[in-house]
Amino acid sequence: MRIFNKLGANLHLFMAVPAILLFGVFFLYPLTQGIGISLTDSNGVTTPNFIGLQNFIDFFQDDRARNDVMITVYFALGSAPLLNLFGLLYALFLDRKLAGRGIIRAIVYLPAVISPLIMGYIWYFILQPGRGYLPHVLTKLGFGNLDVNWLGESSSALVVLILVNVWQYVGMTMIVYLAGLQSIPPDLYEAATIDGAGKRSSLWYITLPLLYPSIKINVVTNIIGSLSVFEIIVALTDGGPGYSTESLSIYILRMLYGSFTGYSTAVALILFLIIIIPVFVFLRLTRKSEYEL
Amino acid sequence: MVLKRWSLLLCLSLMIGVLAACGSNNDSESSSNSSTSNTSPSASPSAAAEPSASAKQEKVTLKFFTGKVETVELINEMIKAFESENPNIKVEQEYQKDASNVIKVKFASGDVPDITTVYAQDYVDQGKYLDLSGEAFWSRVLPAIKELNTDIKTGKQFRAATNVTMAGIFYNKKIFDELGLKEAHTWEEFKSNLQVIKDKKPDITPMFLAGKESWTLGHLIEFMAHGVIKQKYGVTDARKAFINNEADKLQFDVPGEGIEAFAARLLELKNGKLINKDVLTATYDNQKEAFANGQTAIISQGMWVLGDLLKLNPAIAGDIGFSPFPAIVEGTKPVALSAEDSVYAITSESKHPEEAKKFLAFLFKPENLKSYSEFLKSPPAFTDVTADWGPLKDQAAAALQSGVNIAFTDTPSGFSGDDSGRMVQELLAGKYTSTEFATEYKAAWDKAWNATNK
Repeated sequence: MRIFNKLGANLHLFMAVPAILLFGVFFLYPLTQGIGISLTDSNGVTTPNFIGLQNFIDFFQDDRARNDVMITVYFALGSAPLLNLFGLLYALFLDRKLAGRGIIRAIVYLPAVISPLIMGYIWYFILQPGRGYLPHVLTKLGFGNLDVNWLGESSSALVVLILVNVWQYVGMTMIVYLAGLQSIPPDLYEAATIDGAGKRSSLWYITLPLLYPSIKINVVTNIIGSLSVFEIIVALTDGGPGYSTESLSIYILRMLYGSFTGYSTAVALILFLIIIIPVFVFLRLTRKSEYEL
Repeated sequence: MVLKRWSLLLCLSLMIGVLAACGSNNDSESSSNSSTSNTSPSASPSAAAEPSASAKQEKVTLKFFTGKVETVELINEMIKAFESENPNIKVEQEYQKDASNVIKVKFASGDVPDITTVYAQDYVDQGKYLDLSGEAFWSRVLPAIKELNTDIKTGKQFRAATNVTMAGIFYNKKIFDELGLKEAHTWEEFKSNLQVIKDKKPDITPMFLAGKESWTLGHLIEFMAHGVIKQKYGVTDARKAFINNEADKLQFDVPGEGIEAFAARLLELKNGKLINKDVLTATYDNQKEAFANGQTAIISQGMWVLGDLLKLNPAIAGDIGFSPFPAIVEGTKPVALSAEDSVYAITSESKHPEEAKKFLAFLFKPENLKSYSEFLKSPPAFTDVTADWGPLKDQAAAALQSGVNIAFTDTPSGFSGDDSGRMVQELLAGKYTSTEFATEYKAAWDKAWNATNK
């Protein structure tokens, strides 16, 4: 009987076993294998040779890889703040009692449920210079000179990619903020109003501090998502023209398929670090504030 | 808080785990890729329903792995016919868009198909294919195609091609006749034709390139730039030069040779506004539509485009002209691709090589080859097959007469046509001068070659 009691008390641990097993087999094992492969000159077919850290050294000496790191970082620096800004604005706007609020929320959220690959192709059909819907409409309205080759110029192509990414995922960010907003007790606002606080003060001293956990979740997930961007770029520019919008994820795939298996695995590990460092820095910087709340 | 951090770590590990698993040699994740296959729906349920047809013989399943989307349906029909003739053999067709890369995962994970359309020198070197040299059908194959199917290093045949494909310049005969233009064989003639079209027909794009899709630009390198090397050394020696990376013959970074001359010529076209201004964003579909609708006078393509052009505008059949690529270096001749198409190889790891050979023999029956050629609009590579494969039959023969016939390039597997096409995109985007392009091209080629020839 005591054994059963003990078992019952620790049941949650037993229930975690399948998940831990799955995690071990499908993630930890490949991860350790990946670290092993990154130290070899594997091409995926022939027997690999151990080459130490050569793949990592090669990465830092490769112009294309360095370019891709910068592209990926620029993309994240553009996407993550815009996603949070617009996500928050939408949430604040749609948290109010408005006619058709549910429909607007659904419309804003809808792009997030469509595959980013499909979304990329849709935007390609809209933006393609000379052939897309937008150039067509611009020409009809007499603004034909605005039909610029946004996707054919490396600098503007990156801006387009960021905007499409923001447009697609702003709904996701909005939902998290909305959930956060709805968990703030209304009596706090009532008390603030009685104390003479205006709308701006309420936003600054009540809403934003209490939204802190939501901000944290959104910033972290947006950093991870933006730094590992893949599908939207494949559909809109395929990393081009040339390699000017190639992200690290695309580089990893191309290296893998180009018989540089060991090297591509090393780059995957580097991407892991590129993602984890800003996330940890952000969490570290914001830890104190959360304790204070 | 600690939990949150752990869960975050786990999420990140998940991502890297997935990436790492793709590169793994023998782990379970690699093999999961094959489960996404588009196994043929018609892989004979009827055959499966009659297991006792031939009582004592065990039923054999052959895996046929293809990267040719245009023939999936036709092959499915042929499989049905084959299975009714051979009730003990079941053939499962699997198509993958990125077949040349997916097969790497298959080889690495042990999920090796019996027959495949994917063939690469690296795999020949690693003994991945069965030697087909002794097969009876070779006596029926065009000698030039047999030569192209012969492995340079061993002198054996590890693949067989059923068809011949060609690539060159497709032009609109109606526009050419109207403007009094003739097929161009030299670069000056070619450029002058484009200039006349630009001057006299300002609404028409003289030449249309589908630059968003890097393979189309990669083909320009393969046919025009490499054409200089290929015609200089002939089919066999040129193939040896590419496979063994013989720098003295390839001369990739030498000014005035194939690569540099090609880059300079392409920049001439761009600067002279003789190609579409949206060259970097135009797709293969845009190119086909522009040609089929008479919005462009010239495109560079292979015979594979013909079926789609006729589908888009059947009335254009009589207006399509075909000529070789003009010579891009002075003193050289125009070139036309005439190479193997629809190749089949049996893998050395196949557990049923005899049944696989039987299936190939079935595909190589004259009546099947005839319907295949007519379906694909591609000339057969077998001497005993006469097929009415398309409206360009006579013009293609004339183009092959007037230009030096060249083969595809044996590129290192890490430097595909897509990769070189991306470099051409950079050239068109203004990143390189022609000499810089040639230097970069050689560096990229050497890097990829060294990675697979350790």
